[in-house]
Amino acid sequence: MENLTIDTLWTLARAQGLEPSDEDLAAVLPLVQAGRAMMESLAAIPLGEIEPTSQYRIL
Amino acid sequence: MSDLVWKSMTELARLIASKAASPVEVVQAHLDRIAALDGKLKCYITVLGDSALEAAKAAEAAVMSGNGVGPLHGVPVGLKDLYCTKGVKTTGGSKILADWVPSEDATVVSRLTAAGAIVLGKLNMHEFAYGPEGLNPHYGTPWNPWDAATHRICGGSSSGSGAAVAAGLCPGALGSDTGGSIRIPASLCGITGIKPTYGRVSRAGVLPLAWSLDHVGPMCRTAMDCALMLGAMAGYDPRDPTTSVLPAPDYLAALTGQVKGLRIGVLRAFYLESTDPAARALVEAAVKTLEGLGASAQDVNLELPKHAAGASYAVISPEAYAYHEGWIKTRPLDYGADVRQRLLVGAFVSGADYLKGQRVRALIRDEVDRALGKLDVLVCATTPMPAPAVGQNEVAIGAETQPVRPNLIRFTRPFNLTGHPAASVPCGFTSAGLPVGLQIIGRPFDEATVLRAADAYQRATDWHTRRPPAAA
Repeated sequence: MENLTIDTLWTLARAQGLEPSDEDLAAVLPLVQAGRAMMESLAAIPLGEIEPTSQYRIL
Repeated sequence: MSDLVWKSMTELARLIASKAASPVEVVQAHLDRIAALDGKLKCYITVLGDSALEAAKAAEAAVMSGNGVGPLHGVPVGLKDLYCTKGVKTTGGSKILADWVPSEDATVVSRLTAAGAIVLGKLNMHEFAYGPEGLNPHYGTPWNPWDAATHRICGGSSSGSGAAVAAGLCPGALGSDTGGSIRIPASLCGITGIKPTYGRVSRAGVLPLAWSLDHVGPMCRTAMDCALMLGAMAGYDPRDPTTSVLPAPDYLAALTGQVKGLRIGVLRAFYLESTDPAARALVEAAVKTLEGLGASAQDVNLELPKHAAGASYAVISPEAYAYHEGWIKTRPLDYGADVRQRLLVGAFVSGADYLKGQRVRALIRDEVDRALGKLDVLVCATTPMPAPAVGQNEVAIGAETQPVRPNLIRFTRPFNLTGHPAASVPCGFTSAGLPVGLQIIGRPFDEATVLRAADAYQRATDWHTRRPPAAA
């Protein structure tokens, strides 16, 4: 996966109408990187036919 | 100080119903205590002294005239400040909603007051419930009452609720729990709290953090009080489409004091094996206590909760961002820096990642369900360590140094993903005098068994009766 940078985050943020400060982006970058690393670890789980969970237990 | 502030809710209800205590006297005792201690503890954002006393006088008149009274008649409660209260500001612990006054009560607030409860005020919290420490830059960070000298976190996000109940500033409170926000402060503040099954209690009129993970529940000093409050709150609500039509049982009647034959699964891998040794010893001792009461215990190793952090990241981040998107674009600087930055993270999670998180979540739920097919409850520590100091970012857990924030929610958030009911009860104190919580997880909609186990444990121990030094 391509490395994220503050510039990348800035472009993604602007595309959504956000204008975060450089300070915020510097703080957010490691959080997003950590999140992406966690998501990559989920890729190893065999999900098969599992559907997204529903918490709505209709009883 | 009046001893009334240390009475349980069930005891206060009994004293009031039998005319042995006046609701006015009870409410005034708590208001006096708030006035004396809350300057330091910072539990309350709004104190409703006048309306509470007015309600107490009406409650007293009802008792004296022999009118029927509800199960919480005249008993004070505090509300985490994300529960909508008609005509009373509801800030969410934020600057954004500092002056917002809802036009109606949350369903659970209506149900508690219909049962006779008197609202003392609105309690402090991590801003918009988005943090497990319970910090607040706008209203001050609540002080954990178990350390009078060092400003320690109360745990969050229901930090004001945890500290207020522990310090006798209210006998019970409402918390909310998206990743552990009832159980973490219950553990760190030495009180009892339960996150009911998702769908058991209405979220209508409660400011959301993440719709599919948010749970509403009570925080009290005893499991019996949690049963009393939960009984008044639980059940289907047409205002919340996620509530179940399954009838809520009589939780107080379920507290038989008996756990003979109860099958306990002790969560080892990922849980106790990653717990501070002192806290782990207290949890092991609690299991021995339950075994001594007739329960049986066996080790359980779940494989999938190690993926809860990833699944939770994928679900909570975009749900929280979706709710806050408008404000984060128009009023970003009105958020505290930590919450603003965490909310921004949600803008960078894709739809595919969100659904992958929801699919992994289904697997985790199924694994917990399978474990509970052969067992009645699962137990582990609520948090891997006791309360750190405010501003402390790392903590020693055994021989390792670990970051505080992810470890605070490590043991609790899997059960937000799965929706199972889970309680925290105090099970001892470290050598530094800090409380440790035992987490008890039950089958879906079987809060009664969780509370029965917690109550039986509290009948055999006295941890829940200790009073914190900062509340002396």
